[in-house]
Amino acid sequence: MSKNIDTEKIKAEIKQIVAEIAEVELDELTPEATFTEDLGVDSMMALEIVASIEKKYKISVPEEEIPTIRSLQNVYDIVLKILG
Amino acid sequence: MASIWTIEQIENALPQRRPFIFIDGVDAIDIENARVVCYKNVTMNENFLQGHFPNNPVMPGVLITEALAQAGIILYAVLKPEVAAKKPIYYLGKSEIRFTNPVLVGDKLMLDVTAEKLMPSAGIVSVKALVDNKTAAHGKIYFGIKN
Repeated sequence: MSKNIDTEKIKAEIKQIVAEIAEVELDELTPEATFTEDLGVDSMMALEIVASIEKKYKISVPEEEIPTIRSLQNVYDIVLKILG
Repeated sequence: MASIWTIEQIENALPQRRPFIFIDGVDAIDIENARVVCYKNVTMNENFLQGHFPNNPVMPGVLITEALAQAGIILYAVLKPEVAAKKPIYYLGKSEIRFTNPVLVGDKLMLDVTAEKLMPSAGIVSVKALVDNKTAAHGKIYFGIKN
């Protein structure tokens, strides 16, 4: 059964969370910008992003997925897949 | 209650060395709930108390944070022994600590740490420092791990 989720609203919320933790402007934060090279996000910040998103959406991101998170698009994909 | 870990076990888990070890003992290890409780006995022998403050010794908040972070390393060593065995470098990334009560000479500072997320390269722990069951500080510590 598909759930009725507002994809655009969730993407905007995730973008806000990532921008705050990575300390980057929303304009700078494109879905494709790489966390490490373009935005200076280290593994600790990536973990903080995951923890914040898990808390907000009451979800659990599998541990093995966390190292695959390299951009905002990856975060969108994982969260939307879980919220499904 | 006596420590359930020896000084040697504590020194084996921590990369810090004296006089910068702020864990005197381990009170409890609860693997199921990803939690450890360590302690630090605060005595007038601490050299930092001579200047913080003269005639009014109070344990500095940054050192309470350090003690909590060291308890976090012990938790990490318990839960991720395969990573800890490689003797990595643990570095503090961010601390969100609220201090609610002073820690004074004679206090036994309990350092209660629970894992929120632990990965091979980073971790987040919820921390609470207590004296006689009264919270002295609480919050979250974010840390990184490098080999």
